[in-house]
Amino acid sequence: MTANRRQNFRPEEDEDAPLVERTLGGDQQAYEQLVRKHEQRVFRTAIAILGELADAEEAMQEAFLKAYQNLPTFRRDARFTTWLTRIAVNESLQILRRRRDAASLDDLEAPLQDLRPSRVEEWYANPERRYATAELKRIVEEAIRALPPAYRVVFLLRDVEELSTEETAEALGLSIPATKSRVLRARLMVREALAAHFEKPPTLRSRLRRATSMVRNMMAMAFERPAGRLGGR
Amino acid sequence: MLTCQEVLDNLSCYLDGEGSEELRRELERHIARCARCFVVVDTTKQTLRIVADCEPFEVPLATSALLYDRLAHFFAGLL
Ligand SMILES: [Zn+2]
Repeated sequence: MTANRRQNFRPEEDEDAPLVERTLGGDQQAYEQLVRKHEQRVFRTAIAILGELADAEEAMQEAFLKAYQNLPTFRRDARFTTWLTRIAVNESLQILRRRRDAASLDDLEAPLQDLRPSRVEEWYANPERRYATAELKRIVEEAIRALPPAYRVVFLLRDVEELSTEETAEALGLSIPATKSRVLRARLMVREALAAHFEKPPTLRSRLRRATSMVRNMMAMAFERPAGRLGGR
Repeated sequence: MLTCQEVLDNLSCYLDGEGSEELRRELERHIARCARCFVVVDTTKQTLRIVADCEPFEVPLATSALLYDRLAHFFAGLL
């Protein structure tokens, strides 16, 4: 899959290519521009893996120094940001290894969580407006912080930094299926955490509705009949 | 008809606009009839919107300053 992507990726698609070239030509200001442009992503990667601010700061500094020193070895078969994120992951893991002895992201893997959602009440309309900006941010960060680190980093790259599934997989050295499965679990866990703040209190009607749809589902599965016949609507 | 578990398994596909036209239709048909899955799909969609909008874990200014300092020292050493 990776090989495939590499064939598809064209270096001219990388908007950072000119800054990379100038940096290689000895222009330190060009590198500073790259740093400013990408420090947010590198920070999120590091804080996701390490959790502690001081550790993340160290990882971030090491990552940007390493990237600068290793830039001559950067083969343009991936985006600069993907390559840089991968360095940030490795630096973070190295610090983590020093702190706790986890060798890789796989060692950070939490046992598979039950996917089945437990909070299934509707949410208020535009629930984010019920909170002040700072408070909302605290709630969201808390929800992400509560994820196991292996899910946290996948979630931040995919859904906050908005990398594609393929780029997330490549940056983390994961397979596409493993990435997809972690993205899904992370999304559901964050949803569950936010639901505690955003959902409406249950009503008799919502309970009835759920019971009805559960029965309908069981029947659909048991008889494998088209759903249209079961609904009676 | 898809089961609730199948809806869940294909949730990312649906949210990311991936998967076949047929799968999407099947999902929509299930969601229209299953209140539970409707809520899960709808609130997961909202989750992603809210999370992206509030930009969690921004680099603190002091953290940036430390980074720039370190790089400046490094570059000074190269001269
Ligand atoms: Zn369902």
